[in-house]
Amino acid sequence: MRTLPSAALTVAIAVALSTPAVQAQGAADRAKVLRAAADALGMGRWSDIGGANTRLPGIDIVNTMELQGSGTTDMGGRQVKTDFHIALGYNPVAARVELTRTPDGGSAQHTIETVRDTYAWNESEIGAGLVAGKGVATPAMAAVRERLLHIWMLPYGVVKAAYFAGDKTVVSTAAGGTTISAPLSGPLAGITVKATLDANSLITKVEARADSAALANLNSEAEYSNYADHAEVLTDVKTPGRVVLKQAGRTVADMTVKTWETNNPYLVFPIPPNVKSAPATTSR
Amino acid sequence: MAARRRVITTAAALCFATVAVFAQNPAPRGPRTVNAPPKPTGTTPRTADGHPDLTGVWNGLGDNLNGVPNQIANNGISIESETVARDLHSGQIVTVFPRLNNRPQNNEQAERAAALLRRSGSNRPIYKPEYWEMVKYNDHNANEEDPSNNCMPAGIPRGGIPSYIAQFPNHVMFLYPGQGGLIATQTMYRMIPTDGRKHTPLQELDGTYTGESIAHWDGDTLVVDSWGFNANTWFDQIGGYMHGEDMHVVERFKRDGNTLTWTVTVEDPDYLLEPWTSTPRVALLNPNPNAMLPESQPCSERDLAHIVTKEHH
Repeated sequence: MRTLPSAALTVAIAVALSTPAVQAQGAADRAKVLRAAADALGMGRWSDIGGANTRLPGIDIVNTMELQGSGTTDMGGRQVKTDFHIALGYNPVAARVELTRTPDGGSAQHTIETVRDTYAWNESEIGAGLVAGKGVATPAMAAVRERLLHIWMLPYGVVKAAYFAGDKTVVSTAAGGTTISAPLSGPLAGITVKATLDANSLITKVEARADSAALANLNSEAEYSNYADHAEVLTDVKTPGRVVLKQAGRTVADMTVKTWETNNPYLVFPIPPNVKSAPATTSR
Repeated sequence: MAARRRVITTAAALCFATVAVFAQNPAPRGPRTVNAPPKPTGTTPRTADGHPDLTGVWNGLGDNLNGVPNQIANNGISIESETVARDLHSGQIVTVFPRLNNRPQNNEQAERAAALLRRSGSNRPIYKPEYWEMVKYNDHNANEEDPSNNCMPAGIPRGGIPSYIAQFPNHVMFLYPGQGGLIATQTMYRMIPTDGRKHTPLQELDGTYTGESIAHWDGDTLVVDSWGFNANTWFDQIGGYMHGEDMHVVERFKRDGNTLTWTVTVEDPDYLLEPWTSTPRVALLNPNPNAMLPESQPCSERDLAHIVTKEHH
């Protein structure tokens, strides 16, 4: 074996020592890490059943999901017992978050907060405002960004965003593990999500950071743990069993998952006519 | 667990068995690695009255038309290459993942993936809100709730594109050969007049699986208008899409060379918030001029009673 001249070795060691603790990786490594993260979640799938003459590549199969759970949410600085029922989708990007909060000694409060694309509204009942006389849909356009962000902060959202962002996605390794950083787009342009992966390539933490002070109110973190297939119709899609959402270090939601259906259930988010015609705000 | 695996294996075996039959006719070639709609080639033949001639065996894509690769296309996901896929309804790009040759799938994994792949498209009928839970329940519990189980007919428009069309001066014949298996694959046929007659008033019709169909030409497009259905079918292969007896279905068939594009619109004001139009599906003429339809596969349901989970097609 050829030995390096001592001067060259010294330089090599010096370069190695001066390398930052966080190492950004190239395109090949990025692809490898993204694929590992997607596979850990069960997102990229193919099947040949009924296709003797066909061998299609896999595709991202995550579209609609429905989860239910219980835990707490922050209500004016108090942690309040909360039941969660969340329907969401990525095509179109939409969510309906139904919360039933029961403060100690108080009566239950029920809210339904919905978002789709650049529209946000609150529903007095599921599907309110779509059929005459059936509930009230109240535009809530100022909430568009915050509601959309929660969809993209889910593990599946981060992986999708990272693939969509292409070369703008950065994969790094550091002592704490591997991270994926991807800029969001559309109404969420100016916000970057950064996911931390564990040794099994499962996303355990997602941080959302705004590039400008104007969007700093959206800075937040989410922690994911206890991954399993929590669905009744098993799909081999891994979902977290616990979700903790924080803002400025304070826990704003802490949910233990009861079921998380991932079989692309029938979940639709039609925009009520009065919401469609509502004036836009700066948040849209 | 053992019972579940046995059922899935049986279901998969039935699907693969039908593949062998359907694969007989198309000319041998390498496996398709895309499912994007085929591009038309050749000229469009015309009948003596000047209309496009739709006559032919329309299974040229090979494979089982109810198999996963074709159902991904039916669901509106077009895999255009080994790196590009998109949802045709929304236009959204869908991330493509190269297959991992070091990770072969067993039947259970393939069935679970199939259930996801068939449902990942965005083009869903919009029901009135009071039916959202019911549709979701239907699909979630399809093993028990799917009306086409127990060897019942798929009905219209769930039957999709007929495998064979014969065109005559005053009517067309559509044949849908049964493919055995668990879902929506019973043999159906339709004899549809093109002589200008009108529909029977709806209230005078007894609801049937294929309804009463009449057809006319809109330029070079054959428009088949149907009503008079029973409510015993779902109107797409997957999804739990129930309907009422007042469902009105309009199918549009457009031949271009060796391709046939089928689009269907479903109106059902009792159930749907708005009419639903399918993403266009494109069939390919069987390239073999001597192609014949295979014998229908018998359907004898034996598995339903043994299904112990909610996993399904």
